[in-house]
Amino acid sequence: MTERDRRKWRELLERRHESRGLLVAFEGPDGSGKSTQRKLFKTWLKGEGISVTTTKWNSSAVIKPLVKVRKQIHVLSPEEFCLLHAADFRHRVETEILPALWQGTTVVADRYLFTGLARDAARGLPFDWLLHVYEPILWPDLVFYFSVSPETSGMRISATRQPKYYEAGQDITGVDDPLASYKRFIARVIREYESLAMIFHFVTIDAERSINEQHREIRGHFERASRRPWPDWNVEAVADWLAHQGAGSRRPSRAASA
Amino acid sequence: MTGRERRGLSASGPVRGRLVAVDGSSPRVAAAAALVARGLAGGAGRAPVSAWDSSGIFTELMAADGVPGLSARTLTLLYAADLAFRLRWQIGPALLEGRAVVAAPYVETAKALAVAAGLPRVWLDELFRFAPRPDASYHVTPGRARDVKAGASYVECFVAAALAGPQLLDAARLRKRSADYLGALEREGTATRLPAGRRAAPCRRARR
Repeated sequence: MTERDRRKWRELLERRHESRGLLVAFEGPDGSGKSTQRKLFKTWLKGEGISVTTTKWNSSAVIKPLVKVRKQIHVLSPEEFCLLHAADFRHRVETEILPALWQGTTVVADRYLFTGLARDAARGLPFDWLLHVYEPILWPDLVFYFSVSPETSGMRISATRQPKYYEAGQDITGVDDPLASYKRFIARVIREYESLAMIFHFVTIDAERSINEQHREIRGHFERASRRPWPDWNVEAVADWLAHQGAGSRRPSRAASA
Repeated sequence: MTGRERRGLSASGPVRGRLVAVDGSSPRVAAAAALVARGLAGGAGRAPVSAWDSSGIFTELMAADGVPGLSARTLTLLYAADLAFRLRWQIGPALLEGRAVVAAPYVETAKALAVAAGLPRVWLDELFRFAPRPDASYHVTPGRARDVKAGASYVECFVAAALAGPQLLDAARLRKRSADYLGALEREGTATRLPAGRRAAPCRRARR
């Protein structure tokens, strides 16, 4: 993308700034209660008259079946695991998330690309490569990170079910017992999450507190957060999408009418 | 441990085999790969060939509900996932056994199509950096349109899926641009053109 094109895309995005929807991501390890909070948040947003939609991790109608069948037979290497989830994510960005944001709908993401980054880094893949895989990055307006200890996560998960093979990280720990493997793996995932939270300034929610306290805090953060323009790195993600949306051009002038 | 080390493909490790890539936007890639494989074996059977979609990802994708509309970027990520599978189960083990192996197509076919669709080359270089550099690289010149069988190769799958999506890509232009990309590799000296229909003579150069 030339500097001139980038400037024009930026102008197009600025014109859309007031009418676009907001992207809010809920992140955290399994058992951190983020799905409960996501549901409460969505219900509250609807009550406030805000148009809202949800997108979940690994839920693309096209890609999910491919991943599911391979997870069941335990044949995925860390690279394949990463790349298939990245394809699923990209497909949802292009077909669900960006179209909704462009039309003014707020998108609540139950897990976002940081899930991929934390899990894949915990599997030993190089972090710089992972960032490239997920490029161009569409940065959320707000990321809530639900922080729990590995012990709490393990306790909450084991109270209801046995962790699944990849969820437990058995593909890399080599531990036969799913729960024992999960405790070892989730500690690595949480370490990666904590680093991401610090580097990328997530809003950290203490997920060991009561459901109600957490919900009030989330609402407070959302209400206080002022609408900011999309950062520069979102320009490429939006341009990439618009260029493939019937505008048929990577030139901003033709895409503007899309 | 890195992915390369897990597959025994570490740059510093003892890689004993030989990897030969055959790329191209032509449906003749498979036939050309078979010729190269025979040439590599030097009359003793043929070297193993690692083909596109060995993981079955694309077969499942196309069989599920016709050809889904997917962007060039999503298709490229799926190609990379399939290639990771091939490296783990086909290419890596052959190299570790000290054998020659033909990858057809390999990285450049996916890059050629993605660049033709407008994706940045720097992203593609980074995405495919997990794949080891081949010891020899060939590309097959494009065939005539009537030779093309839908769904028979990554090129056809890419074109079909890209055209089923919202983007207004033109199949002929995609083919032309991807062929230009592969032609540029030849001019840079990183790949050798393998004219369709020729016998395996040029392939012998790839032998040890």
